[in-house]
Amino acid sequence: MIQKISTLVANNRRFLPLSATIAMFFIAYALGAVFADGMRDPQVFFNLFRTSPFYLISAIGMTFVILTGGIDLSVSGVVALTTVASAALLRAGWDPWVVMLLMLGMGMALGAIMGAFITYLKVQPFIATLAGMWFARGLCFFISDDAISINDRIFRILGQTKILIPGLADPVTKQGDYISILVIVELVVLAVAIYIAHYTRFGRTVYAIGGNEQSARLMGLPVNRTKVLVYTLSGFCSALAGITLSIYVLSGHGLYARGFELTIIASVVMGGTMLSGGVGYVFGTLFGVLITGLIQTLIQFNGQLSSWWTNIVVGALTLVFIGVQSLLAAQKIRQLASKKFQSQAKERVTPRQVGARNRQMLLVGGGALVVIVLAVLAIGGAQNTTRGSGASSSTPIAATCQLKPFREEHAASLLKAGAIIAYERNGGSNCIDELYAIYPDGRIVGDDGTRKIEKQVTPADVEKLLADITGRGWFTEEMYTTWHVPCGQCFSYDLTVSYKGQAKTVKAVDGGTDAPANYWQVVSTINGVIPHFTSTQ
Amino acid sequence: MRQSQPTFTWRKITESKLFFPFLALALILLFDLIFDPGFFRIETKEGNLYGSLVDILRNGSCIMLLGIGMTMVIATGGVDLSVGAVMAIAASVAAIMMNPVIIGVKLPPDLMKFIYDPNFTYAPLWQVILVTLIVSTICGVWNGLLVAYAKIQPMVATLILMIAGRGIAQLITNGVRIQIFYEPYAFIGNGWVILPFSLYIVALVLVIAWLLTRKTAIGMFIESAGINSRSSFYSGIDEQKIKLIAYAFCGFCAGVAGIIASANIKTSDANNLGLNYELDAILAVVIGGTLMAGGRFSLLASVVGALVIQATTTSMYAIGVPANAVLAIKGLVVVFVILLYAEQVRDLVRRITGQTARPSGKGAGS
Amino acid sequence: MMAESNNHILMMKGISKAFPGVQALEDVDYTLKKGEIHALVGENGAGKSTLIKVLTGVERQDAGTITLDGKEILVRSPQHAQALGISTVYQEINLCPNLTVAENILIGREPKKFGRVDWGKMNVQARQMLQELDVDIDVTQTLGSYSVAIQQMVAIVRALKISSAKILILDEPTSSLDAHETDKLFEVMRKLKRAGVAIIFITHFIDQVYQVADRITVLRNGKLVGTYDVASLPRLELIAKMIGRSLTEFDDMTKIKLESSKHIKGDALLQARGLGHTGAIEPFDLDLHAGEVVGLAGLLGSGRTEIAGLLFGTEKPDTGSLAVNNKPVRNYSPFDSIKRGVALCPEDRKAAGIVDDLTVRENIILAIQANRGWFKYLSMQKQYEIADQFIKLLNIVTPSPDQPVKNLSGGNQQKVILARWLATNPQVLILDEPTRGIDVGAKAEIQKLVLSLAEEGKACVFISSELEEVMRTSHRIAVLRDREKVTEFAGEVDEHKLMQAIAGSES
Repeated sequence: MIQKISTLVANNRRFLPLSATIAMFFIAYALGAVFADGMRDPQVFFNLFRTSPFYLISAIGMTFVILTGGIDLSVSGVVALTTVASAALLRAGWDPWVVMLLMLGMGMALGAIMGAFITYLKVQPFIATLAGMWFARGLCFFISDDAISINDRIFRILGQTKILIPGLADPVTKQGDYISILVIVELVVLAVAIYIAHYTRFGRTVYAIGGNEQSARLMGLPVNRTKVLVYTLSGFCSALAGITLSIYVLSGHGLYARGFELTIIASVVMGGTMLSGGVGYVFGTLFGVLITGLIQTLIQFNGQLSSWWTNIVVGALTLVFIGVQSLLAAQKIRQLASKKFQSQAKERVTPRQVGARNRQMLLVGGGALVVIVLAVLAIGGAQNTTRGSGASSSTPIAATCQLKPFREEHAASLLKAGAIIAYERNGGSNCIDELYAIYPDGRIVGDDGTRKIEKQVTPADVEKLLADITGRGWFTEEMYTTWHVPCGQCFSYDLTVSYKGQAKTVKAVDGGTDAPANYWQVVSTINGVIPHFTSTQ
Repeated sequence: MRQSQPTFTWRKITESKLFFPFLALALILLFDLIFDPGFFRIETKEGNLYGSLVDILRNGSCIMLLGIGMTMVIATGGVDLSVGAVMAIAASVAAIMMNPVIIGVKLPPDLMKFIYDPNFTYAPLWQVILVTLIVSTICGVWNGLLVAYAKIQPMVATLILMIAGRGIAQLITNGVRIQIFYEPYAFIGNGWVILPFSLYIVALVLVIAWLLTRKTAIGMFIESAGINSRSSFYSGIDEQKIKLIAYAFCGFCAGVAGIIASANIKTSDANNLGLNYELDAILAVVIGGTLMAGGRFSLLASVVGALVIQATTTSMYAIGVPANAVLAIKGLVVVFVILLYAEQVRDLVRRITGQTARPSGKGAGS
Repeated sequence: MMAESNNHILMMKGISKAFPGVQALEDVDYTLKKGEIHALVGENGAGKSTLIKVLTGVERQDAGTITLDGKEILVRSPQHAQALGISTVYQEINLCPNLTVAENILIGREPKKFGRVDWGKMNVQARQMLQELDVDIDVTQTLGSYSVAIQQMVAIVRALKISSAKILILDEPTSSLDAHETDKLFEVMRKLKRAGVAIIFITHFIDQVYQVADRITVLRNGKLVGTYDVASLPRLELIAKMIGRSLTEFDDMTKIKLESSKHIKGDALLQARGLGHTGAIEPFDLDLHAGEVVGLAGLLGSGRTEIAGLLFGTEKPDTGSLAVNNKPVRNYSPFDSIKRGVALCPEDRKAAGIVDDLTVRENIILAIQANRGWFKYLSMQKQYEIADQFIKLLNIVTPSPDQPVKNLSGGNQQKVILARWLATNPQVLILDEPTRGIDVGAKAEIQKLVLSLAEEGKACVFISSELEEVMRTSHRIAVLRDREKVTEFAGEVDEHKLMQAIAGSES
């Protein structure tokens, strides 16, 4: 019996890394579901897909490039450029389908140019695509300095249509688990990519180049043409990802997708594709992206850990995966060398020894991931205090948790009625919308759309709060409004302070890199004073 | 080989590593001269020099520093993508040491108001700088261990710290952007002693690097290991230790750059500090003529390369190009420079300047 | 003549090829009949690989013609060679280890169904092709998961099928195979022979030539020694032709050697006892005394370079012990060996010798500097002093010590490497093929130098595939065969006996 299993494993050795990744994903998800109630909501699983189209599509393009042993750093630039260019063209009244086609063409053109530089001028992929990224991102700002919002009907439909999952949703009330059209798009792209990788000569040449470029040439394969095509494909995918992003957030801005390429590369690596090329499956990239999304979800469900932990965990996991890859590769080399000696010494390495070592390495990698996930969840589970930010919620969310407009008129009327601070907080995993008003007499009133909550502090406390806020430079020019794509469970803030004849409103989004430094201090100070709604149920 | 005097000196100049970077710099400055004659105006205020040229030097300090460290790493055949993140870590460490209230260090109430006092710092300046540099060097050592001993590809190994590093920087300050009020620290980035103070620091680090690489055998070993790893091994060179010290020094330089950058904006901004600087640093080294495959390097040429990049940016601002559009111009400059260095173009240039092809001495068949 | 040339599928006449500093081939003829296995042998530097490079379009010959199937051809590139029907299977197996066996055979010509790759058909076809060679494996596994022997079979199948080859070149195919696998390969070769394929078999294993080849061509120092029928060439004669004595003008060196043999002191500077590395070299004993030159003689692949590696520390032994100056050696590394006073001038000067972008001066002082560590940097003045000293001593031709070493000719590069090791003032100097690819004048200089070093009280190990050189410069000769040290000769040596020892069992 054991013999049978080990032969089965030995025969399908090359699928081991991929299976390991898939297994890790499900184990981590299962653990998450055990420790956090909210994770058991099926919508969470579907949300992993709903928030990943731009990642996945882009990562698919990147996978092909990495399979040839190259790299494409321009993805974030092309994505951003696509969002801005489409937004601008739509604003100018162009037909949305034409715009989309044009964007795809643009992506392909950029990719082809970089591919030509890399293949024919022998520029290092790293540098050529880096230049491409700068160029593309720079072009964004030639078009527009600020964000441009998209109001096009088609885009709206594509982004906001809910596709209800049969069996898990009620078509009558339109409540229940759902996915979006973009999910269909990304799955189609995935399927096409898998087909290309495994059933076309182009795809097989890609693998051959990654395996040994010189051999591929000697074997008569069209290496140069394929290399240019691979970067063209990546450009296409980046542009397509940009289109899905602009559909998702219904706007375009040159600052989008910052640091995007790192996440993409990490996802591809975690999906089992080796950066040296030739080894890896497009299917694995799907799971790499899902794992990245899962980590973010786990961390945000936890509520205690801040979003930067995502970076650390992703970095650590990438290290584990790369470490395992390196070890396996070094082992292979040693095996081959010792094989050479041993064949001359008339002995042989038994296949069983090889298989055992592989298995050890993968156990190490898998164990590490499981430990990390456990640690993350344990920390969260142990400190599971109720906060407004949905650590546990099992009712399906009725409305889409996309960018909600601030209740600005309401806030204005509150201020007119005498409030000195109007503070609104939207978003989060529970899709809340809480608006607070703080009055000079110490009264604090909170309103989340359905309930009201009140708290009374002393006027002196309010004075102190105001002095603190002013002291942090609220009324100076250094406090400015920023806006960007919110992360899945991040909050958006709209804060107005009216004091001693001055009134200023500053808006910002959580998880951002662009809001002024003191803003977060102000927000945390206010958060310390206001009353909190208990978790919705 | 005929050696008539004029040809010899001309070839020596064109073959020197400094030629192309200086040429590029000259071209950019020439461009400035045409479009904005006021570019070269230097004013003196209270004995200090100001002007666009001085701006180039000041704003390019960080990249020059990173370029110095990156040169050594690239010369060993590697690359360090994490320098930007290490800058952020360094800034976080420095800020938290001067102002640890954020992480809950309780100060006696009478000291609390001094947080905003420009003369207050929780830890003495020398300690702040020392600890920061130690931490950033440790980051470099971490990279070096992964590359030299665990034999992980440099791009991949440093990618990890690049991703995780910013998270770590935020972890240190608990996500808060700490404001720095301590004047002496801020002086590092903002002060002027005839020339911007940061320039002196760059010069100091350059001298240290020069001493380290040219007054000891380390420079020669780095080049040897980068050119031919096996021959170096046979000659008794310990390649692993050489790589380790290159990465460690790169981390050190990133630490210094982080101090200067955070002193400049008086904040430790874990998300934005040094963002994309690693790319600039690599480009500076490439412009400076060091091959990415490793081998011969020139610290001064990399510094000039950094100035080329900074001059491009500053020139663009000076002639009124919108800030964010500068990035596109930078991309084009990269393309231009890379083309200049591409094999085919170099061969073309050589043929034009009449240099004969070198005897290869290779291919002695078997 | 007409009848004979109809039988020839390939005729190479008067092929010459020179590289800067060395004449790799000089007026070489080579013919190949249809359906024969023709071995091509020669020691390193003989010109085998250059001849093949010319035939396969990697290099263009300076002079001479190539006639394929009666038509004169000019091979433009490796792809062109393949198109002409000349296929090569190299030692490095130029396939993609990450693709499956079937793919490696059929990629570029995959069977398709409705425009998409038909894996099923591909697997079936590949399996059939392999079975024609009596190889039955699972073609759906990656190539890299199979042994080199199998990979070679796959490479052969691709070479034959994809380009319907008329000529198959096998470059050192048995280097990584064990006895069983080698037999299998020979069966396949015979099968192909019967099918009319002409095979050029490049090897350094003399036994194998006798097992499977019909004719054999011997090259030496770029020149053709001759083409013979294997059946009528005794083994010893073959060895003689490969490495034996030729007309020489260095007779006065024998006198020098005899005189210096009086200076040999008794101290053993280096002692190896049962030193060995499984698969590389069988355990051997070796003593080196001050003032003597020990030559290592043997054919390519007999283990000479491996012994050098063990003595110098680039290879770690797994049995036996080594003592230098009566102190046992614990750390095996070049750094430690240099410290102990042992130096190695390696065989491959391009890959393990010169650092080509560094200057002559830097190359020369590299090892001594490495030994001094990072911080005791030799002053520039001292560096130039040392460089000048050795440039003069070894007669290195260079415009200045600041010339990058890659600009020097092969011979001078070799001298620079030699200078590097001499500069470390070693007690034991191991020289692995120090005269390969060097002009005659430089060869003589180096040989004289070795003897003078011995006179100064050093111990030298001299490795060369030129037997006359070894005999001329050594006081003692150790003979290696099949990765084993078989015997030693001392004093005046009978060349015939020496060649017998090298050749092995009489034939």
